[in-house]
Amino acid sequence: MTDMRTAAIAANRFGFGARPGDLRAIAGDPRGWIKAQFAPQASMPAPIAALPPGEDDLLAFGRWIAARRLRRGNAEGIERQAERQGVSDEELRMLSTEEDFIATFRSRAVTAIGARIEAAITSSAPARERAVHFWSNHFTVSAAKPAAIALPPSFEREAIRPHVAGNFTDMLAASTQHPGMLIYLDNWLSVGPNSVAVQRRARRAHGQGQLTGINENLAREILELHTLGVGGGYGQADVQSLAAILTGWTYDRPRLIDYVREARGERSGASLFEFDAPAHEPGAHMLLGRVYLEGGVAQGERALADLAQHPSTARFIATKLTRHYIADDPPPTAVARVAAAYARSDGDLRATMDAVVDCDEAWADPFAKFKRPEEYAISALRAANIQTLPVGAGAAAIGAMGQRVYAAPGPDGWSDRAESWLSADLVYKRIEFAQTYGERTARADIDARQIGEDALGPLFSADTRQAVQRAESPAQALTLLFASPEFQRR
Amino acid sequence: MKPMQLSRRLLLAAGGAALSFPALSWAQAGGAKKLVLVVLRGGLDGLAALAPIGDPDYTRVRGRLAQADALALNGMFALHPRLPKFNALYQAGELLPVHACATPYRERSHFDAQNVLESGAAQPFGRDSGWLNAALGTLSTSAGRERGLALSAQAPLVLRGPNAVATWSPSALPAPASDTIARVMDLYERSDPALATALHGAIAANSLVDGADGAGARGPRAVSALARVAATFLRQTDGPTAAVVEMSGWDTHANQGLEQGPLARNLGALDDGLDTLKTELGPAWRDTLVVIITEFGRTAAPNGAGGTDHGTAAAAFLAGGVVAGGRVLSDWPGLSAGALLERRDLRPTTDLRAVLKGALADHLRVSSAALGRDVFPDSAALAPIQGLLRA
Repeated sequence: MTDMRTAAIAANRFGFGARPGDLRAIAGDPRGWIKAQFAPQASMPAPIAALPPGEDDLLAFGRWIAARRLRRGNAEGIERQAERQGVSDEELRMLSTEEDFIATFRSRAVTAIGARIEAAITSSAPARERAVHFWSNHFTVSAAKPAAIALPPSFEREAIRPHVAGNFTDMLAASTQHPGMLIYLDNWLSVGPNSVAVQRRARRAHGQGQLTGINENLAREILELHTLGVGGGYGQADVQSLAAILTGWTYDRPRLIDYVREARGERSGASLFEFDAPAHEPGAHMLLGRVYLEGGVAQGERALADLAQHPSTARFIATKLTRHYIADDPPPTAVARVAAAYARSDGDLRATMDAVVDCDEAWADPFAKFKRPEEYAISALRAANIQTLPVGAGAAAIGAMGQRVYAAPGPDGWSDRAESWLSADLVYKRIEFAQTYGERTARADIDARQIGEDALGPLFSADTRQAVQRAESPAQALTLLFASPEFQRR
Repeated sequence: MKPMQLSRRLLLAAGGAALSFPALSWAQAGGAKKLVLVVLRGGLDGLAALAPIGDPDYTRVRGRLAQADALALNGMFALHPRLPKFNALYQAGELLPVHACATPYRERSHFDAQNVLESGAAQPFGRDSGWLNAALGTLSTSAGRERGLALSAQAPLVLRGPNAVATWSPSALPAPASDTIARVMDLYERSDPALATALHGAIAANSLVDGADGAGARGPRAVSALARVAATFLRQTDGPTAAVVEMSGWDTHANQGLEQGPLARNLGALDDGLDTLKTELGPAWRDTLVVIITEFGRTAAPNGAGGTDHGTAAAAFLAGGVVAGGRVLSDWPGLSAGALLERRDLRPTTDLRAVLKGALADHLRVSSAALGRDVFPDSAALAPIQGLLRA
């Protein structure tokens, strides 16, 4: 009995909820079940592996923008580019009339969201999938910013997913070098005021409208949201230094000719991270009391590695992890324990995760956390053993409950505190979801009592069992199960 | 009966602390002043909504988008022909248009500009809470009373912050059967006070707006439905002080049209929405201030596609029984090539924050210290504009 209770906590709190049969399999060793999922080698979930790479997303987005610009008033610039790059008028016209770019682009966004949900509902390593969602939210790249609209899925796959059982230093570097982040937080617009590029431009007469300065956005958020955290011991001078160190960190922007080559079926020239040496601010910079000598891209890589190992980072990461896995206001003992594991292992996320699992506080209150809409929907889908979804259905339902997948409102990502999700309107919409989903799922051979038992085990309360038992229809029984307090919490 | 349900909802939404609060005090709490903030997302073309027909460069600069049949307010400005209700309010002294105003943001990203518009900070992502939440937080308030209402599932940034706000939005999904809701509530009341509180709030809100026809309307018409719902909440004696309604579709890059077209349709819907609000508020209109703002204006000249691109200064509107209207507030910068910002945008001559500060000071009695520090951070040096409201 105790083991089934622990298994239910493991499945709901660390995974994405139990599918039929999961609890029995987990009950033998719930902590071991979680830890085993963080083995270094893991295969990519099939729906994710089937998505196009970030290079393609960049091309698709750039092509879409180019096509839009061609249809608007300011086409002269693009026509000049075409001439310089050897793109014929006819090819340019093709680009401007191919309306299906937009359809293609929209449908790939829908496909990517569907893949994320499908990976989570079908996964046999749901704790690892949850970690992907956690870190993807820690390093938020959001489609709410139009310029980044195409990139959150490939960012998550390429910068986050490979490192969830690896080292935080590598994840931080991969995040900071991915076009998704470089675009989302504007670093591609940042150039050193004393850089070769700016000096060269200043000598030319028509330098107007060109980039001439540092954009601090990425540097600030790295310090505030990705590593040290607010109050982590950095100041404005550190933000400026890190911003200077990161000048020249950009991506290989596709040119017009790349879109045309892609349309011709030739391989494109797009790639991802690029260090643009001429845009880099030269010189040594002082960051958090340490001097980083000039060294091109290595200067920034050294700075990020040191930030990852900073004691404030250990504390900040430990706080966020324990807030996600234990309680909105995590117990200080748990934070200290996880921070120590992070520091001892030099940021090894497997060892850090093990420490979270080994906190007794994580197993005390099974309902300390209120599920966010996405995890709530995923757990409901897993409970009924749903394997595939109609195109766009998951995104629509989760969006209606207040969480647009891959489109968090700001760089701090989705809130991990219950009060953000307990508004009257959002709670009501969850009940609407529970009813709609319950009605669609109800079939003669589906028994809500069994689904509740399989998903919640001993956490299935007597009150809810009785309510489900007394429901007037199978659909209402499922609605009551999915709307119940124990199903909405973890 | 229904007003009682709302009090219960507002009481319950406050959580445990409010439950022991004597219900009697609700009748005495707060003033009757109401504020409705309408956020136009996408960038309203201020030169189309409020055309400077008296500017010597107007016809030349606007070209195919120059208005011939606008509703003249004076020798200088004219409202778009699809704003007849705005015009009627102006003639009654209850509309105060403001022109050539902008937030401190000087670039052209919707995402960043809306962030500045709503947070009240001087730069994008300067903070993660909004100026209206901060302003409402300065009001003396009974414990836990929700002063703000968002007509959306989650509060928009302008209403987010430390002070609890109510939410309501139309739904795409069918409403649960009342029997199901009763059973769910029974479960929540047995074991989960937080969920029970939220559900009580939702039930009370829904009972109030049940009669609101077309509450789920989509597109521009939704604004009238939302205005009706907002009025339903606001006219309760213990209802919220402020409501926020959002309206999108103002990003008119192509074929925006003159008397017809997408911009005219949107303006017509906004016109109807304001009129609906006035009608539905009834006597409460006398104590109401409506503020209509957008994140930025658009280019002065049309682009090659018959639309306008992201610009800088825009128009804003104050309306309501409290407004000292019937005049246009503008330090008009002109439309000549030299007058335009970067030779393309209407140049901002009024800081939108100064307008909002003046309105909040006069309407809700927010102190100037709070306005300069908590509501609009680091804006102490920016004086509120005086005399926006009737003395």
